[in-house]
Amino acid sequence: MSVIPTTGTAAFEPLAEIAESTNDSRPSQLLTKEDCLEIFNQLYLARYFDIRLIKEKKRGRLRGTLYSSHNQEAILVGALFGLKATDWISPIHRDMPAFFLKDSKFQWDDPTRSGMSIEEVCAQVWGKVDSPGRARDNWSHIGSKSKRIIHSTSMLAGTIPVAAGVVYADRMNGGDAVVLTFNGEGSTAQGIFHEAVNFAAVHKLPVVTIVENNQWAYGTPVHMGCPTPDVADRAHGYGIPGLVADGQDVFDVYDKVMAAVEHARSGKGPSIVECKTFRAYGHGDHDDDRAMKYRPSEEIEKGRTRDPIAICRESLIERGFLSGAEAEQYIAERKSASEATNDDFPPVVVEYLNRGIEFALNSPLPNAEEGAMWVFKENA
Amino acid sequence: MAAIAAEPTLVKKNYLTALREALIEEMRRNDQMICQGEDIGMLGGAFGVTEGLLDEFGSTRVIDAPIAEAAIIGTAVGMALNGKTVMAEMQFIDFISCGFDQIVNMMATYHYRTAGEVNLPVVVRGPAGGYGGGALYHSQMNEAWFCHSPGLRVVVPSTPYDAKGLLKAALRDGNPCIFFEIKELYRKNEIAEVIPDEDYIVPLGQAVIRKEGTDITFVSYGQSVYHCMSAAAELEKLGVSAEVIDIRTLVPLDEETIYKSLSKTNRVVVVNEAPMTCGFAGEIVARIANNAFNLLDAPPARVTRLDTPVPWVKPLELHVLPSVEKIVRVALQTAKY
Repeated sequence: MSVIPTTGTAAFEPLAEIAESTNDSRPSQLLTKEDCLEIFNQLYLARYFDIRLIKEKKRGRLRGTLYSSHNQEAILVGALFGLKATDWISPIHRDMPAFFLKDSKFQWDDPTRSGMSIEEVCAQVWGKVDSPGRARDNWSHIGSKSKRIIHSTSMLAGTIPVAAGVVYADRMNGGDAVVLTFNGEGSTAQGIFHEAVNFAAVHKLPVVTIVENNQWAYGTPVHMGCPTPDVADRAHGYGIPGLVADGQDVFDVYDKVMAAVEHARSGKGPSIVECKTFRAYGHGDHDDDRAMKYRPSEEIEKGRTRDPIAICRESLIERGFLSGAEAEQYIAERKSASEATNDDFPPVVVEYLNRGIEFALNSPLPNAEEGAMWVFKENA
Repeated sequence: MAAIAAEPTLVKKNYLTALREALIEEMRRNDQMICQGEDIGMLGGAFGVTEGLLDEFGSTRVIDAPIAEAAIIGTAVGMALNGKTVMAEMQFIDFISCGFDQIVNMMATYHYRTAGEVNLPVVVRGPAGGYGGGALYHSQMNEAWFCHSPGLRVVVPSTPYDAKGLLKAALRDGNPCIFFEIKELYRKNEIAEVIPDEDYIVPLGQAVIRKEGTDITFVSYGQSVYHCMSAAAELEKLGVSAEVIDIRTLVPLDEETIYKSLSKTNRVVVVNEAPMTCGFAGEIVARIANNAFNLLDAPPARVTRLDTPVPWVKPLELHVLPSVEKIVRVALQTAKY
């Protein structure tokens, strides 16, 4: 039986709410030591990916614009960690690590997992033929139907209706998949954001809209694009829950997203989870210098102080999962690309990315003729 | 009493009924198909093309969508990405502009940017065309926008038989398609015809010759085909024999039928309802100039809408749209060149 409401029978229901968990019932409190250390490693991996690409570009081994996820890694790791392999995601430009973090828990190297390999992602970054999209569109514009990753375009918020359609179809098939759509706070001003969240709310679709509120939509501050104190307040207009998470705290993100995912999976419908964060650098690396000018230096200074790696480290020490010399072994937090070295990261992270980059450098460019291929599915 | 042998039912069906039958038959044939659009369920569509669908197939497969064209297209893309075939109705094809980004950037490019991993069986269909006093926003023929966006099929049927066969073909094609229905033809009794009871398709990319002739070729589609037929009848009286080609699908375009006709007539007038500048008539003329220049005895001509919006009241509307009179005049100039 479909859970989609039948025409004409939808009764009024009060605004759905997600109850605030007490401290002990928070989903993150149920995570094991191994889970938490894996989360910590994933934060390192996401940060190292970002820093390493900047270094590769400075060395002249990489071209194209980089959209740094520096300082926003807790959102990706925290949101993805509790998903099932059958769930869908739609990442955007600042979420590059999401492609390899999806379904990666304890199985970074499993080729059958529902996420991309580091080799595939690096081949995409380098514009090589082994990219999942054979390097036809750039940077984060990749996806995989079989791995349940929706392919984005540059028109932000444009994947939310696609995500809604995907889970509508999944429900029709009797599935229980949830979709996480990632969005910047800027794109919540788009008309399609409203149309899509509205559609999802009308049909109670399991769409969790993550808003990475990093305070700046390219060169425009959040208050110039959103009139409410929290972007999550937009949820009220759709009668759905709007949660606010501390985007620097991977466990708070995990808790809020898990609550939203549970809500969605149980048929109660969509929600918005706003993760408050700060864009550490420019919109893209082409914008790093100018971003120093349009953003007050005190704001930048303040925004970078709450590094997600440091906050996670403190939590792990507090819970007794890290101690002594082990706790201070790799200090990657608050270091820019030029300050950080490989010694600041666990070797497992460095080696993983080394493999991806090596693969990408050795992967060939696509044949020029491919530029004219696959405009249509040929039915001859 | 002796049993009376059943006679084959030779009921003529109009263009709208043909379309409705195509949808019903495809929904029966393919249980993975979804229809969505504004007012298509309980109301049965603003024009009635989807009448009866909700009752037979239920509200999961027949969705009364919010007034949100971009979401209608975008969710259709998502459903198709996850294995469904989707018919998305635009209440008027003019409103398709509200869903433009989802069509040209999201849907049209999906197969391309995934190197063939994903294909989207989505047909976006809606009523189009002028001559009905619909004014600026209920009269457009905006097909050129979509011909200019690689990755979309563009189809414009002109008869009940084609409407049904082309809609079925489009739904089975596996590529996204923008399907222009001519709303002035929906209930036009003069063009109602007997169409087969058994399943059939009209393949995309095959033009048809509506009338044979030897002196001049009309290339047209949609409502303009009938104007060309009337013009051909007028010209016949003046001793000019015109051939009328209905291209039926713009993308893909059957160029061979056009060149074959030109090898006989050596003269061509392209007629459509869209504005002239950057319109599909210009594209046809350009292809003829590139590929069949040696066949031409006269400059290829166009009769199109003026480069204006479509105005409301009759004299204004008829002034800017192609007319039989204009077509005859241009055809005579071309024939005499």
